[in-house]
Amino acid sequence: MFRFRSVVGRAIALHLVAIAVTSICMPLALYLMLKYAAQDLHQNALREQAGELAGLIDRGADGALHVHLTARLADLYSPDYGRYSYAVGDASGRVLLSSFPDGRAITHALPPISQEISFSGRYDGTNIFGISVPTEIAGQKVWIEVSQDLAHRDVLIDDIVADFFFRVGWITAPILLLLLVIDVVIIRRALRPVVAASRLAEQIGPLHTELRLPESGMPREVQPLVRAVNQALDRLEEGFRGQREFTADAAHELRTPLAILRTQIDMIDDGKLAQSLRNDVENMSRLVNQLLEMAELETFVIGGSETADLVAVAAEVAAFLAPIALAQDKRVAMTGARKPVLVPGNPEMLGRAVRNLVENALVHTPARTTVEIEVDPAGAIVVSDRGPGVPAAEREQIFRRFWRRDRRRQGSSGLGLSIVARIAERHAAKISVDNRPGGGAVFILAFPMVLTAPAAVSKPELAPVS
Amino acid sequence: MRLLLIEDNERFAALLRQGLTGAGFSVDVLTTAQEAKTALEMGRWDVIVLDRGLPDGDGIEVLTEMRGHGDNTPVLILTAHGNLKDRVNGLQSGADDYLVKPFALEELVARLQALLRRPGNLLGLALRLGNLTLDTVARQVFVADRPVPFSAREIAVLEHLLRRSGRVVAKTLLENSLYGPAQEVGSNAVEVHVHRLRRHLVQTGASVQVHTVRGVGYMIGEGT
Repeated sequence: MFRFRSVVGRAIALHLVAIAVTSICMPLALYLMLKYAAQDLHQNALREQAGELAGLIDRGADGALHVHLTARLADLYSPDYGRYSYAVGDASGRVLLSSFPDGRAITHALPPISQEISFSGRYDGTNIFGISVPTEIAGQKVWIEVSQDLAHRDVLIDDIVADFFFRVGWITAPILLLLLVIDVVIIRRALRPVVAASRLAEQIGPLHTELRLPESGMPREVQPLVRAVNQALDRLEEGFRGQREFTADAAHELRTPLAILRTQIDMIDDGKLAQSLRNDVENMSRLVNQLLEMAELETFVIGGSETADLVAVAAEVAAFLAPIALAQDKRVAMTGARKPVLVPGNPEMLGRAVRNLVENALVHTPARTTVEIEVDPAGAIVVSDRGPGVPAAEREQIFRRFWRRDRRRQGSSGLGLSIVARIAERHAAKISVDNRPGGGAVFILAFPMVLTAPAAVSKPELAPVS
Repeated sequence: MRLLLIEDNERFAALLRQGLTGAGFSVDVLTTAQEAKTALEMGRWDVIVLDRGLPDGDGIEVLTEMRGHGDNTPVLILTAHGNLKDRVNGLQSGADDYLVKPFALEELVARLQALLRRPGNLLGLALRLGNLTLDTVARQVFVADRPVPFSAREIAVLEHLLRRSGRVVAKTLLENSLYGPAQEVGSNAVEVHVHRLRRHLVQTGASVQVHTVRGVGYMIGEGT
């Protein structure tokens, strides 16, 4: 079955059907009612005539009935005028008096003597309507027939009935159509708060969990839905807040003891022991950081208008990791684009992705080699090292959580590249790995698009909800 | 050098006090934001180390109140949160530097010395690294306490590097400070100066090294 998607559409369609039915049925009913009312009027007029006639009939000295027509009635019933006829008869069907020169009855059927009847039809070439009224004149039971010629009914009411369809009946359709237009306007107005709420709802997301749909002004039928949606949003916001608070608390609870440990190690005199403990704490810290980054990513969403300059992101990472690389007798270099390469995204998150890529490269590249960070103006960051490279069979697995080629290897948690993959996914970017000509691995973080001009910073207009 | 440490974890505070005392600071420790606010209205320190997670509020509040009073003592913030939002937040509130837990004591000392070395601060007059000393007022370089002639441009580059020793100084920053942002600079002008500086340092026997981070900038460190 066809289903309507819009309330207004449904109202219009059903209304049109109703209009079609009503604009046919209503004039028809009115016409029939009018017709019966007109018939009634005529019948009354004829009955009165019959009564009048009865009053003018008396029994003569010859014992027969005689009628003494007034001048007006004589004209009316004269065969010259021809529009009205009468006949009077008795119970046996004998015609006693008649306006016809041949003294016949109006119809050939015998009218009953005990009840009033009306009749219509074609008799002697004329379309007539008449009634037969039983009465008693001078002690004799008689019937009096009176009829009129329908072809010449010179009464106003008949014209009205006849012209009804042309003059009155057609008005129904336009009136109903006007009603339809008014209804559509009414429904539209009633739904306006719903439209406004929908626009507000479009802005609700992980970045704006505080927004709620307004209940006031909402049609009562929609209010339960609005309330239920708002309650659902409350629960979601609670969940998000819980997750964020957990991340913040966990950061504090985990990092402070690590800081204490680290500081304590720094005060150990035994250089060799201190260094080995320091490495352990550093690995532990990195793992904690990565776990926290993972947790943070769960609730992270890129703002719609955020842009990141890949050159700035790469330069910051290079500057941050260069001293660490130098301490290991390795190098970090930046090549490629010099002018800003803008992509839609969050610079902080992209910085983490690139940092994890470069840290991974620094783990694998041998001493006295360089990890290169290249920014492609077409919207990509390419990180290359001189390490052993990644076998083709492992190129999918390395982006999984806690995946490590060598489980005995210290200092790598297997989280770094999965963080990169997650951040790439959030930015609709593609992360891939290949082997480098001359040895080593090449990680490519490619973005779907580059922004040509710095996007105007526009914040969505938010209606505060009290 | 008087240092005020505001840190609620007593064990950590004690360790830091021990470490910083060893590095030549005279350390006072406070554990709550309220104590810190009161103390800062009364006394003065040369540098302040402020933990953000205090039991009675965010350390940032202490900082804002301090800066509100016109107190410009350098402040280094310690935090458990390393994300950019928190960092920007801290720096906008008037912090001079920011260190995420856990950190090396060495790093904290280096950062504090860098803060004190800023122009106008106590250590601002002489910058030292290895056997190299730069007198920023007399514009004179000493290697192993021996005065050595360096050109004005070389000294300018050296000063920038020494003020951020152990960290990368962006090449664009050097270009701008040597020539001003408006001026057209030859693409390798800075490289030429750094190259001369490096040669000069080797010739004079300085125990420092200028590293090139290709595409990013330069970094000075101890070593030959």
